[in-house]
Amino acid sequence: MASAACKRWVVDVRAIAATSRGAFAESVANPKAFWAQVAAMMINDLGWMAFWVLFFDEVGEVRGWDGERALLLLAVFATSAGLVLGLFTNARHIGRMAADGELDAALALPVPPLTYLLVRRISPVNLGDVLFGIVLFAVSGRPDAGRVGIFVVGVAASAGLLLGFLVVTGSLGFFVGHGETGDLGFNAILLLANYPADFFGGPTKLVLYTVIPAAFVTAVPATLIDEFDWAQAALLLAASATFLVAAWATFTLGLRRYSSGSVWTQA
Amino acid sequence: MRHSGRVAIEVRGLTKTFVTGRRRARRTIEAVRDISFSVEPGERVAYIGPNGAGKSTSIKVLTGILHATSGEVQVLGLVPWRDRRRLTRRIGTLFGQRSQLWFELTPLQSFRLLAAIHRIERAEAQARVAELAELLDAGDLFDQPIRSLSLGQRMRCELAACMLHRPEILFLDEPTIGLDLLAKQLFRDLLVRLNHERGTTIFLTSHDVADVEHVARRVVIVNHGSIIYDDAVATLRRTLLATKLIEVGLSSAVDIPALDGVTVLEHTATAARLAVDTARRSVRDVLDVLLDTWPVADISVVDPPLEDVIAEIYGAPR
Amino acid sequence: MPPWVGVAVRTGARRVLAEPSALLMQVFFYLLVTGAVTSLWRVAVEANGGTVAGYDARALTWYLALSEGAYLAVHSRIIEEIGDDVAGGTVASEMLRPAPVVGVRLATELGKALPRLAVNCGAGVLLCLLTVGAPPSTAGLLLAVPAMLLAGACNLAAMHGVAALTFWLRDARTSWFLYQKLIFIFGGMLLPLQVLPPWLHDVAVRLPFMTMTYVPARLASGHVEPELLLVQLGWLAVLAAFATSAFAGGERRLQAVGG
Repeated sequence: MASAACKRWVVDVRAIAATSRGAFAESVANPKAFWAQVAAMMINDLGWMAFWVLFFDEVGEVRGWDGERALLLLAVFATSAGLVLGLFTNARHIGRMAADGELDAALALPVPPLTYLLVRRISPVNLGDVLFGIVLFAVSGRPDAGRVGIFVVGVAASAGLLLGFLVVTGSLGFFVGHGETGDLGFNAILLLANYPADFFGGPTKLVLYTVIPAAFVTAVPATLIDEFDWAQAALLLAASATFLVAAWATFTLGLRRYSSGSVWTQA
Repeated sequence: MRHSGRVAIEVRGLTKTFVTGRRRARRTIEAVRDISFSVEPGERVAYIGPNGAGKSTSIKVLTGILHATSGEVQVLGLVPWRDRRRLTRRIGTLFGQRSQLWFELTPLQSFRLLAAIHRIERAEAQARVAELAELLDAGDLFDQPIRSLSLGQRMRCELAACMLHRPEILFLDEPTIGLDLLAKQLFRDLLVRLNHERGTTIFLTSHDVADVEHVARRVVIVNHGSIIYDDAVATLRRTLLATKLIEVGLSSAVDIPALDGVTVLEHTATAARLAVDTARRSVRDVLDVLLDTWPVADISVVDPPLEDVIAEIYGAPR
Repeated sequence: MPPWVGVAVRTGARRVLAEPSALLMQVFFYLLVTGAVTSLWRVAVEANGGTVAGYDARALTWYLALSEGAYLAVHSRIIEEIGDDVAGGTVASEMLRPAPVVGVRLATELGKALPRLAVNCGAGVLLCLLTVGAPPSTAGLLLAVPAMLLAGACNLAAMHGVAALTFWLRDARTSWFLYQKLIFIFGGMLLPLQVLPPWLHDVAVRLPFMTMTYVPARLASGHVEPELLLVQLGWLAVLAAFATSAFAGGERRLQAVGG
């Protein structure tokens, strides 16, 4: 019983690995656009860097945040979001794909549908963000063994959380009948993750730690690098795990209500 | 070929409803209503009906994509949506508007990926690809990126892709949509060939009556979510596909004489529409008469629309 | 003014009004962004003894409400869409029409921006009134209204000019990202230009980006500087000319090279 499940898991991994290789091959099939897009993302990130430098230059330290920590936040954000949107590109599109009936191809194959869909497409553009984030951390994050370790684990947890959140909001589309929940979730969390959660008041701050966990995506990991705290670290990992589990659950349950584009569900 | 001797597809009382619209405008749509039929291994079945009849919904339930609302479905002894992953190893699916192949890659690269997913060893996969290349006459296509192939060529590669793991049943949903006449005929011939040489059961949905004539031996007609006809194609041909329509553009008004085997459906000063019962009179004959005696500006011969065929089946109003 | 201008503007506006849910979504995000950014700055101002670069919390809130409103009202995917249209050949077919391609597009996009500007303005005013109270200067706020319109027009004109680059570059994305970031910083969208170090500030006031967000924001924040409207008009003329000639050049290239 257990060995059969184990064998199946091994087969799944091989299938998923093959899918990833295919996704990578597809993404480099068009090299001309690749570097232009990577450059575009780096310009985008440099803009935010300029903003934070100018902001804290003018304003000084506020609520424990200064220019250096803001750059840590940016580094974490760029790396984490870059990883999720770059390597699991379909995560933000799950809602739309479900509404448009694009899950059929995945369901026609003997693979776990969510994993397959997530690795099915790679977006080179966002890998520019990853590069930027790592370089930014290396240059301004005062990396030492400890800080690098926290950065790596923090980014991993942040990425997991972001991935889970995107899949959950996208999968809500199965239940409400249209694909816009995914876009809403995507835009909301990416918008709010730009800012340190400590700058917001009570009720907003609560939202940022729960329903739209932008604080855990950026502010918490960034703070942990400067001021490590076991309780906060544990919370971060717990949040990440929760959203990943919720992602799998929401998607699997939602799949039962999949209509494969058979019906126009929009008003 | 693994034929366990049991029925390939068994459907009993299948119903599928969708809930659509938002809040107050919420409606329930019964896409498929209490459908029952069964398919033996090795059969070639066409499942046809007009748009919105429930064909795509049915085939998606059979392939495990959609969950049935009620009723029993067994494909190769498995319940499609529950045992989806086990089932997909034994069936192939080709949906006209959903590609299985990776757009930027060559078919060959896609096959390698599919082989890994279906646990086919490298050497074995290569052999199968070569076989399929010959069977489908597509060898020269496999090395070119999909985006550079015409639709007809792409469909042949799609067919190869879904046959790679030697499925027992091949489900096709509107596979010939968008193909030109020649490509359609070629595709249909390939399906028949697959059925002959490999014993693959073919289950095909379409709203093109010609798919019925050239591929299927049995036809199931659905309309408004229910089956209204289930019989051999030979029977259908005898009773219904015998009609052809002739549409005539007239350069001046003319009276229409009565012609044997011909029914006048419409007649204005500038056009006429005739139905020819080809069992009683050949189209060629009728054309000869028309072109000789009428002031014909324009003429075309068409198949009656499927809606008409279906309406005729039970003499039901359209 | 040729008749097609009015028609194009009305068509654009009608198209946006026909999709109220999209409009609502846009307002929702406007409020989300503005809420976040004003929160950020208000906390910063508090910690700095009440003013930053000459703005107090109230002025800053009004500033940001209008700068964000002006920016978001102008549909930000235009450059990508124009790029897609160029690549897809839609532009080529537009060139067959008797009205100038750029003019019609600009007028239509302005029409689309109008309802969004109005709605953002309304939402922004409400947000400010609820969080910080009355505007620092009513005259400033009134002047800000035409400034918003001009800001939208300048932004659109520049975008079309930049988008015309896709006739040559075939990739709109890079230009769009760069353009967006230039507005962020030199347009004074997320920070008032007074926050920039003096040398950067001098550069910024000489660039067109400040017309697209800074001017209406500055006026609404209580600095009644009506000459800014003239600056907008001047830049509008320049940017419109730039867009027209860039598109004309692009059209020539299309005809030579093919769609």
